[in-house]
Amino acid sequence: MIILNKIISFYYREYKLNLSGFQDILTNIIFFFVSIFIFIFSIGPDKEKISVLGVGIVWTLLLLSSTLSLRKFYQDDFDNGNLLIMHLNGFSFGFIAILKTFSHFLFVQVPFLISIPIACVLLNISNDKLIYLFFSFVVGSFILSCLGSISSSMNLMNQRNFLLGSVIVMIFSVPIIIFSIGIINMEENFNSLISILFGILLIVFAINPWASGLCLKLSIENN
Amino acid sequence: MKFLINPSKFNEIADYIFKPVLILSMLLFALGLLFSFYLSPNDYQQGSTVRIMYVHVPSAWLALLTFAIMTLYSIIALAFRIPFGFIFNTAVAPIGAVFTLICIISGSLWGKPMWGTWWVWDARLTSVAILFIIYLIIIFMNLSFENRIVREKVVAIFILVGSVNLPIVKFSVDWWNTLHQPATISKLSKPSIDPSMMTPLIIMTFAFMMIGIAIAILRIKTEIISRKSNLS
Repeated sequence: MIILNKIISFYYREYKLNLSGFQDILTNIIFFFVSIFIFIFSIGPDKEKISVLGVGIVWTLLLLSSTLSLRKFYQDDFDNGNLLIMHLNGFSFGFIAILKTFSHFLFVQVPFLISIPIACVLLNISNDKLIYLFFSFVVGSFILSCLGSISSSMNLMNQRNFLLGSVIVMIFSVPIIIFSIGIINMEENFNSLISILFGILLIVFAINPWASGLCLKLSIENN
Repeated sequence: MKFLINPSKFNEIADYIFKPVLILSMLLFALGLLFSFYLSPNDYQQGSTVRIMYVHVPSAWLALLTFAIMTLYSIIALAFRIPFGFIFNTAVAPIGAVFTLICIISGSLWGKPMWGTWWVWDARLTSVAILFIIYLIIIFMNLSFENRIVREKVVAIFILVGSVNLPIVKFSVDWWNTLHQPATISKLSKPSIDPSMMTPLIIMTFAFMMIGIAIAILRIKTEIISRKSNLS
C-alpha cells in the first residue's frame, strides 16, 4: 500500500509541475502548427500534393516536436536532486524510468492528440485515415517516450552537446515512422502492421528500464 | 588469450605482432590487387565494373564485423567490469566508420553504371547508412562527455542498444524485396560465386582485416597510454 501511495504522490507532483509549466507544452503544439504552415508555404498550396504528403508531414513534425521537450525529461529532477530523493524513498532507478516514461506520455504526448484532427483539416487528410493516424500515434508516441527516456538519461552528464540526444531518438525512430506510415497507406493491412508496432513497443519498453536505469545510476554516482 | 582483455599483456603481444601484421597486409594488398585487376575474369553482364566488388564486399563485411566485436566487448566490459572493453570501443569506432564509408562510396560508384543511380532508398542501403550514423554518434559521444567513467559506460550501453541494427543489415536483403542482390557467399548453402572471383575476394578480405588490425593496434596503444597519463 505504501508503494501505491508513493506512486500516486509521484504522479500528483508530476501533474502539478506540468500544470505550472503548461505553456511549454502549448509552445510545442504551436511549434507543430507553425511548422505545418512553413511546410505548406514551401511546397505550395496545391490540394492534391498536400493530401499525398500530409501524413508523412504530420508524423515527421510530431517526431521533431516531441524531441524538443526531451531536455526536460530528467534534467530538472537531476539538477535539483529529486531523482536521488526518489531513489532513497525506495524506487529503483529502473522503476523511476518507467514512471517518468508514463508521465511523459500522459503530460507531453497526449496533448498532441488534440492537435491531430486540426492538422488533418489543414492538410486535407480524409476522415477514415484520421482514425488510423490516431491509433498509430497512440502506439508510436509511447515508443517515442521510451526512446526519449533512454536518450535523455544517456545525455544527463553531457553538458556540451545536447542535440545528440535528439539525434539518437530520431535514428531509432526510423522503424516507427516506416510502419506508422504503412498503416495509413494500406488500410487492409491494418491488423498486421499495428501488431508489428506493438511488437516494437514491447521490445523498447523492455529495454527502457534497464538502459535508462543504468544511465541514471551512473550519472548520480559520478555527479 | 589473456591479451584480449588485459592492457599490459596486450601491449606485449602488440609489440610482437604489429610489424608482421603490417607487412602481411601490404603483401596481401599487392597480391589481392594483382588478382582483382589482372587475374580475375570480367563478368558476362557487368564487364569490368565487377572489380569494384573486391573493395565493396570486404569493407562491408568488416564494418559489420567491427560493430559485432564492439558489441561483444561492451557486454564483456559491462558484465565483468573489464575496462579493456571500453578502451577497445573508444579506439575502434572510427575504423568501423571508415569501413562503412568506403562501403557506401564504392557501392554508389558501382550503382551508377549498373543500376543507373547513385543512391536508392532500399532496405540494405538505408540500414547501412543508419549503421554509419550510429558509428558517428558513438564518435561524437566519445568527444562530448567530460566525465570519463560515465562516458565509456554510456557509450557501451548505446552500442548494445544500437546492435539491434546488425541483424537488420544482414537480413534486409532476405526480408524485403531490394534492388541490392541477396547474399551469395555468407549463406548456409554452397556459395554461388565462381572460384576465380572468390579467390581475390578472400585475399582482399584478409588484406582489409590485417590493415584494420594494424590501425586498431596503434589506436588501442595510444588510448592505453592516454589513460595511464590521465589525459582523457
